[in-house]
Amino acid sequence: MGYVAIKGGEDAIENASRLTEYERVQSRSKVLEIEQIRTQLGALVDKIMGEGSLYAPEHAALALKQVQGCPLEGAFILRAYRATLNRSYYSQIVDTRNMRVTRRISSAFREMPGGQILGPTRDYSVRLLNTDLTTEDSEDIRSFLEEFDIPEDEFLEAQGSWSKVIDILIEQGMMQAVDDEEDQRVVDITREAIKFPAPRSAALQALARAETGGICSLAYSSMRGFGSAHPTIGELRVGYTRVTVKDRRGRMRCIGTIKVTEAEVISKVKQRKQDPVPYMTLGYGLCFGHNETKAICMGILDRSMRIDDEHPANSQEFVLYHTEGVESYGFTNHLKLPHYVTFQSGLDNLRKAMQRKEDKTQNGKEEKRKTYTVGTAEAEDVPELL
Amino acid sequence: MRYDSDYVMCECPIESIKGFVEEIEKDYSIRVLKEPSVCLTMVRAEDSLEKQEFYLGEALTTECEVEVDGELGYGLCLGEEPVRGYCIAVLDAIIQSNIEDSRLSDFLDTQRSVVERREKEEYARTLKTRVDFKLMEED
Repeated sequence: MGYVAIKGGEDAIENASRLTEYERVQSRSKVLEIEQIRTQLGALVDKIMGEGSLYAPEHAALALKQVQGCPLEGAFILRAYRATLNRSYYSQIVDTRNMRVTRRISSAFREMPGGQILGPTRDYSVRLLNTDLTTEDSEDIRSFLEEFDIPEDEFLEAQGSWSKVIDILIEQGMMQAVDDEEDQRVVDITREAIKFPAPRSAALQALARAETGGICSLAYSSMRGFGSAHPTIGELRVGYTRVTVKDRRGRMRCIGTIKVTEAEVISKVKQRKQDPVPYMTLGYGLCFGHNETKAICMGILDRSMRIDDEHPANSQEFVLYHTEGVESYGFTNHLKLPHYVTFQSGLDNLRKAMQRKEDKTQNGKEEKRKTYTVGTAEAEDVPELL
Repeated sequence: MRYDSDYVMCECPIESIKGFVEEIEKDYSIRVLKEPSVCLTMVRAEDSLEKQEFYLGEALTTECEVEVDGELGYGLCLGEEPVRGYCIAVLDAIIQSNIEDSRLSDFLDTQRSVVERREKEEYARTLKTRVDFKLMEED
């Protein structure tokens, strides 16, 4: 398809942009502070940090303010901002076993080492609209915080590391790699165009920055039966993990912590004829911020893409291309931009085709009429022809 | 080390580290070689079973480079934090120079306690949600 650029309309475009800004502030309500968005809309901030592929809570909150809360547009802006910066460091591999855990659960083991810690969750809450929040004020917040306060003598020495459920299964020889012959190169899809079949590292990177709703939809298709992934959550953990880099002197330096969600999804390995034991294996999910749906679905799709089957969730190309939020959002929205020349050219073709059809019909009628006239004229003379 | 100096300098309150560096910088000759600026750190991760390494995404990072009495110092921290980046660079140079400055060790000890206290409080709050589900048939 060819494209033809447009020109003009600068004033209207500028006014449209100002009108968008007017819509944001016209009610003259209280100015939304970045800190308020970052803390009180944390789930949304975490979602767009993951999809924007940039861990920067303040900037994610700023992007959300700018785009009036649209997550796809917010992620787009974060990606664009990221593209303006130099990548100066590569971290050491983050050690999620030593993360400062705020939540960890297993649906595989009731008694997991260290215990199940619900942490901040709505899993067991009734999903009813809390109308009390409509009148919430700072006094309500103060009194809640006072009531929730913990006396210093109840403070606890934090546990340094948490052994994982799958470590027990690994020790007992129950877990197996999916495929030893898989491409194990570490590629960076932001520097190297993805090619299929893609190495698993590329697939995991793409899933970590995929759109949450997109991967939820495809993982759900797999769970419903369009695929053969039947997952159990070995462990889901949320917490803060340290980021360590080498400085210019070559010294290892901790530069702070990032909040991540990790999901270890257990399913069976395809049984082999030479070894019919139904071993278990892992689908792995890890993403920025607290986003459990994303981490779980990433784990399910990591596993399903390594299963040789014909459903959408088994196809790397289908999953990775169609869950890339910024691409799909961008392509969908480009449809709104002027396509006048393309469309007019389509209309021209349509008009010509309609004209050809009409001409043909007319010619046909003429032919028929001629035949009829000829036939009529000759009918008396050659009735045997009828 | 769990509460090493870098971790403490990254996690302590910004007012504390800013106030401390303002207090001591008059006693040192400080030259800023690279103003605090933002860059990216690519975060590397790996899956828990096959140890397949992959890139998780990038993290906004502030970096700064200073020279304190002839010793180089590098300040690195997550986020856009020019003040913290500069302060870490100054304190890093002093730590590296092995200059005995009891004010620095006192500052780090105090802030280590602040960070540790905050994490102990967070952990106590987290552990209140520890659960031991019973199976229905156990009742």
